[in-house]
Amino acid sequence: MGIVGFERTDDVIHEASKNLRPGMGVPARILADDVLLDQIARDRSVEQLLNVATLPGVVGHVVGMPDMHEGYGFPVGGVAATALPDGIISPGGIGFDINCGVRLLASPLTRRDLPDVEPILHELMRSVPAGYGRSGRLELQDRELDRILEGGAPEIVHALHLGLPEDLEHIEGGGCLGGASAQAVSERAKQRGRDQLGTLGGGNHFLEIQRVQAIFDPDAARAFGLSLDQITVLIHTGSRGLGHQVCTEYVERMHAGLARHGITLPDRQLACAPCSSPEGRDYLAAMGAAANFAFANREVLTHRVRQAFAALTRDGRLDLVYDVAHNVAKIERHRGREVCVHRKGATRAFGPGSTELPAAYRAFGQPVLIPGSMGTASFVLAGCGASELSFASACHGAGRAMSRTASKRMVHGGELRKELAARGIVVRCPSNAELAEEAPTAYKDVERVVDVIERAGVARKVARLIPLGVLKG
Amino acid sequence: MDDGSATTTPPGHRFIEHTGELELRFEATDFASLLEESAHALAGILAEDADGAPTRAPERIELAAPDRESLLVGWLNELVYRGEVNKCVYGKVHVDRASDRHLKATVCGREPSSPRTAVKAATWHRLRVKETPAGFEATVVFDV
Repeated sequence: MGIVGFERTDDVIHEASKNLRPGMGVPARILADDVLLDQIARDRSVEQLLNVATLPGVVGHVVGMPDMHEGYGFPVGGVAATALPDGIISPGGIGFDINCGVRLLASPLTRRDLPDVEPILHELMRSVPAGYGRSGRLELQDRELDRILEGGAPEIVHALHLGLPEDLEHIEGGGCLGGASAQAVSERAKQRGRDQLGTLGGGNHFLEIQRVQAIFDPDAARAFGLSLDQITVLIHTGSRGLGHQVCTEYVERMHAGLARHGITLPDRQLACAPCSSPEGRDYLAAMGAAANFAFANREVLTHRVRQAFAALTRDGRLDLVYDVAHNVAKIERHRGREVCVHRKGATRAFGPGSTELPAAYRAFGQPVLIPGSMGTASFVLAGCGASELSFASACHGAGRAMSRTASKRMVHGGELRKELAARGIVVRCPSNAELAEEAPTAYKDVERVVDVIERAGVARKVARLIPLGVLKG
Repeated sequence: MDDGSATTTPPGHRFIEHTGELELRFEATDFASLLEESAHALAGILAEDADGAPTRAPERIELAAPDRESLLVGWLNELVYRGEVNKCVYGKVHVDRASDRHLKATVCGREPSSPRTAVKAATWHRLRVKETPAGFEATVVFDV
């Protein structure tokens, strides 16, 4: 079954003309096979994607990834680029969790060296606060927080001496977005995030101990420092309450300016302003600061994980493979022009030769980290730099296929816990209800999602990682 | 898409199917009660024991907004903000006065012993407040 108005233009590429709906400025494109297309058609994500195509200054086409599902404003798994200087920036196109992202660490240990992950998971539960209302160990003074907002992960490494200098080259953008300003972040946002550095948060955030189960591209895997049966750690979290508050406040501020900019919207969550306007510039500076807080958060968490591995294993070394954002807007060059690329639940996937990549990765493309749902595999891919197709963007995960309420009706958390344990996967999650919300059956098939990304020429598979232990946020 | 949970006698709320987030519909006989019901629902999402006795002193909240929808989302986001900063949930709320553009309320927080789902924000997506024969009905999507 297809989606009304969309036609298959290639193996896994479906397109709708900009005439599909009044107000669309560009065509819409969805990357999916028939099964995923059917799942995508079941919620309002396509309607949301078409709404995005109406935003002022949007160029090329809007893109729905194979993990696309209904969000708020933008669909999750949506990509849109706006032309600078006057194309819009929309906080809802980045989301409340600014720079929610994923970081992969590689250990020299193999599964044989770590037959039981329980002790490390237990230690991580003690040292990594997770869930609602949990504070981190770092209580930042005003000036320290401001320096982190403008300095990102390098500030954590050089000023707080947490993390390693060699980590920085392996973080998207060096772990620091340029143009960030602490002054653009309100006191309320700072207050909300002040004690949250080094915390996981809730929802679908997690920290997972994994094993490399399969290698698809041995040369790329070697360059990324990955080998068969190796232990890895995947961290999924973002800018915590600080980023949430930044988004809340700028959506409100942009509402106030819509009439002045002559902008009408199909959805109030798409509130936006020209990138060149005062509120657009301020939001870009605040978003950059929140993104830097998220890079810093993942750097502090990496330090905690290294401490746990150092205390409980024979070799505590954990090399940072890569750290990617999947909720962010970036100023990039595509198709010969400078654009603001909104990635809402989508991962940058730059190709071989990109000067933004570490020298060791440049021949292979950017590592693209795709976490699966709890209990299923995650993937490492290498970006192909599909600028024309998707503004060099890939999916960000498996993508939900079922609501949380439906999942809780169908899955009993206690039974799921036992089922995962029977498969050798240890799960630490305080609530069975929350566990049920994140059940693997609530998500699309990550293997299928990743296959589509490869078939479309966005990124190619490098390695498959399977979970051994999960600390759920 | 309704999730099929039982319709309540106002004030009340129910969950609506939403693939990615949490969508709720609130009903109440007047706008002030609707604001109170939305706060109770939010507290219930955040913690299992939100209805327990408050552990914090009462806090006064006064908000202004251009319309009812903005006031509702501003109210919920004020509670999200205060809850995260004060490490509590506001299970006991009283809206002292509410008009279409203004509210005054007193809220009492409780440090929860059984936290549940973290809420990032109340969104503007599908946000709606409408008058019905029975009073008021509103729809809000929370980012969780």
